[in-house]
Amino acid sequence: MIRLLGLATGRFYGRHPWQLLLALTGISLGVGVYVGVDLASSSAARAFDLSASVVRGRTTHHLLAAGGDLDESLYTELVVHRGIAHAAPVVELDVGIPNRPGTRMPLLGIDPLEEASVRSFADFVPGSRNLEQLISEPNTVLLPESVAAELGVARGQRIELTLRGRNRSVEVVGTLPPVARDTASEPPIVTDIATAQELSGSYGRISRIDLALTSEQAEQLAQNPPPGTVLIPVEADDSSFNALAAAFRTNLTALGLLALIVGMFLIYSTMSFTVVQRRFTLGVLRALGLTQRAMVAYVLVEALALGVCATAVGLLLGHALATSLVELVLRTIGDLYFGAAVTAVAPSPEIYVRGALLGIAGTLLAGAKPAVDAARTAPALALRRADLERRSRHRAHVAVWLAVPVAAAGLLLTALGPSSLRYAFAGLFGVLAACALLVPAATLLLMRLLEAATRGGASLPSLLAMRGVGASLSRTGVATAALAIAIATVNGVGLMISSFRTSLDHWLGTTLSADLYVAFDGDGRSLTTEQISALEHIANVRGVSLTRSVLVPTPAGEFAVRGMRPGPDGWGLDILGADPSTALAAVANGSGVVVSERLAFARSLHVGEPLGIPSPAGEQQLPIVGEFRDFNTGVYSVVVSLDWFRRYWQDTSITGIGVYVERGSPTMPVEARIRTIAPQPTRIRSADAIRKTSLEIFDRTFQITEVLRILAAIVAFLGVLSALLSIELERSRELAILRTLGFTPRELTTTLLAQTGLLGAAAGLAAIPIGTALAALLVHVINRRSFGWTMDFVFSPGAPATGLLLAIGAALLAGIYPALRSARGALAGALREE
Amino acid sequence: MSKASPVTIELRKVTKSYGPQVVLADASISIARGELVVIVGRSGSGKSTLLRLIGGLETPDRGSVLIDGSDVAALTETARARLRRAALGFVFQFFNLIPTLTAAENVELPLALNGVSRRDARGRGIALLDELGVAACADRLPDEISGGEQQRVAIARALVHEPRVVLADEPTGNLDLETAQQVLALLQTTCRRRQTTLIMATHSREAASVADRVLSIREARIEDGAA
Repeated sequence: MIRLLGLATGRFYGRHPWQLLLALTGISLGVGVYVGVDLASSSAARAFDLSASVVRGRTTHHLLAAGGDLDESLYTELVVHRGIAHAAPVVELDVGIPNRPGTRMPLLGIDPLEEASVRSFADFVPGSRNLEQLISEPNTVLLPESVAAELGVARGQRIELTLRGRNRSVEVVGTLPPVARDTASEPPIVTDIATAQELSGSYGRISRIDLALTSEQAEQLAQNPPPGTVLIPVEADDSSFNALAAAFRTNLTALGLLALIVGMFLIYSTMSFTVVQRRFTLGVLRALGLTQRAMVAYVLVEALALGVCATAVGLLLGHALATSLVELVLRTIGDLYFGAAVTAVAPSPEIYVRGALLGIAGTLLAGAKPAVDAARTAPALALRRADLERRSRHRAHVAVWLAVPVAAAGLLLTALGPSSLRYAFAGLFGVLAACALLVPAATLLLMRLLEAATRGGASLPSLLAMRGVGASLSRTGVATAALAIAIATVNGVGLMISSFRTSLDHWLGTTLSADLYVAFDGDGRSLTTEQISALEHIANVRGVSLTRSVLVPTPAGEFAVRGMRPGPDGWGLDILGADPSTALAAVANGSGVVVSERLAFARSLHVGEPLGIPSPAGEQQLPIVGEFRDFNTGVYSVVVSLDWFRRYWQDTSITGIGVYVERGSPTMPVEARIRTIAPQPTRIRSADAIRKTSLEIFDRTFQITEVLRILAAIVAFLGVLSALLSIELERSRELAILRTLGFTPRELTTTLLAQTGLLGAAAGLAAIPIGTALAALLVHVINRRSFGWTMDFVFSPGAPATGLLLAIGAALLAGIYPALRSARGALAGALREE
Repeated sequence: MSKASPVTIELRKVTKSYGPQVVLADASISIARGELVVIVGRSGSGKSTLLRLIGGLETPDRGSVLIDGSDVAALTETARARLRRAALGFVFQFFNLIPTLTAAENVELPLALNGVSRRDARGRGIALLDELGVAACADRLPDEISGGEQQRVAIARALVHEPRVVLADEPTGNLDLETAQQVLALLQTTCRRRQTTLIMATHSREAASVADRVLSIREARIEDGAA
């Protein structure tokens, strides 16, 4: 029996190879996209984790200065007086390489003798002789292999490093390999601590002390830290980056899942059709005595076989896709943080198993309903098309009622559920599912309205096209829903990106109020009061803004304190949640602090609450008087007045100057003059250049999203193609009748393309409200929970119009082959099949 | 048909095979305008093939099929479609109404294809449905009416554009005896009144009894005999 059933199935697919190919492609693509995205993002995450782990070693905590750097005598105190054996002093610098313009690299100054207690570069470097050489010879470094290769530098040769605006020559005494075989994550440049101090000119000062502490030691030290220091666990060190990277990964995974769900629509559509197409055979099988249970098993086994084959292909596809995607993922995260590279995607059994389970379970789930439908087929009685379509129309109406609770649950989960991103995505998927349930009924309604609107005026071929959409709902319903959801995703993500870009552009316009920015790369090197005064008196300069920024550690992670003296056009801050003038007046007179929106969201800070700010003079409390919009992806930040900052830090240096040029005056002469006053500023950039670079980074960041949008659209396109082929096969007799009545091939092609165009238009129109709702959720909920920032929702007709055209285009494209096949195929054969 | 009429359809040495099976071999016949011809033969003998060849739905392997002097096989597919819409009407065993169009719209379809305005087509369609006794079904979809009613609608669709030839393939094969007799009578009287050539493939003895000529297909040969 099983053999015969297997033969029947095999021959069915043998006669319909395109259908088999489409079913396999749908599942494979769905699984492939999910696995590819997951694999790429996990490979990227692994690269960063490995980089970090090399630098961290066995370090459990960092001891940092409450502001600025530490005196190296503190290290002696910890080891000698407090008995902490596993401690290593570190100088961390940010250097540029003249031959690698535009990029900066971390440089780690270590004490090779003490290093072994917290981490061992000696294990990491082939032949630990290099480390000994580091001690014996000043101005030597270990360079990452990839950088050495890029620069063409060999051991014993010298390279230039840019630090504090000056070039310093160092000798390369060895190279550091990538942190793992499959990743080319760059380790930092490593040098001896004394060399690092000499390079920075900060003799006797260190950036931090890395500690490998027991829990008891950590508790004691946290309770009684040396004055002016803060002990923080290493996990808190990168809290802002980790949150960002995790959110980014969740977003990618969600997009991958969406592709899988659209793929499942395709599987459902295909399985349903194969059952409908064989309803006569299935009816005969039932008449011959096949039980309902056996019928369900028969269809499910078929789905399983399809699922297993297609999933295997999907896993291979996913691995190949990951190799292409990983670079995009890394570039995105790299733009957000620092550079790294992955040379090959690391195989992940866990992801393959998850992808396989999702693919097979998804196929079985999608095949379950068609299996039940098959079991319900009346014995020996092939259901008439009209009965099927009547059932489909009834189901479409039932689905409308079902959509109401599903949408309500989704919205409730999004609005009232826990603030976790996963709940937000679950709610979002609920809303999308509800919308998908509404699409078939909406399509029917649209066709009826269209027919009513053209009553009396529509030609019969047009009527045929309009009614054909509704009349083949059992085939087109799911495909239209899949297409609508995929296009809605394209619309929604497009609207979100354009909203984001508009908000970013607006924010850059507010923040970059000066015309030129002079930056000192955070090393505290400053201009004298006289030099600043000279800047203010450059011809056509109408004022300057001053900023001093320091990173302060807290047990919950570090944040930047920005002491600001505003320029003639104000603070350049977009204040939220408070009256801007009141809030900024409080900051100006030192009675308040404004915090970045991201920090407020991450730490649940609210206006009116006090904020503890660690400073060299001890922790200072300032009330939060407002939040400011901040699309920076680096560390969190707070803004105080420069005077308040200087009072507690006793530091008159500055890290940034904004120069305001008279309107209409050229900036080039001013820039040239600045260079003569501040001979070695690290960077001078115009506001326009910063704005351009920021928007370029933004566009690059969303490249991967674009790729995933396209993949989702391809899956949906295949869904429509599958459905249209199904319709064409199902209606071949009806179409032959039309040709018998005198429809020319061109007329029939036009009628069929009009029908598919209408189908696409229905999906595209349905996608507009769905996409807008999706964009609103992405803007107001997902982005907020992912990144902590809010943005303005900007509806631009571009994305929905593109979506509509895409839907119609995809449907027309998918309809060409079936239409040509119907219009030109053998007429007698189609009529003879009765 | 007692008086001689100009030839409408002519088959000249037509051969048609499906793979190794020869269905028609060197078949030659002429059918005059207004003639009522019945084709009989066993199942699979080639009756439907003959109708499809005349209707331009298939082309012969050899020989030619002429309608009003023009060779159907030599026409392009588009030209054949235009010939069908103007000169031919089809009635099938399984009615083959378009399921998404109402009875009246099904009947209007050939008129619409011939460029008749919607209003005129509607009027003519309803009038013919009334003549055939199914005007009450005009606004119903095919699956909402009985088999006999569907076949009457199909006959109306075949006749509404006043074709020169109606090709009917087992038009009563799917109907009960009483309904079959009604449908047969309807086809016969309507075609006679309109001077339409009717070529009907059937197993029905009743059908053969009303024909002007009976063509019998046996072993791929057409035997022509008067009714």
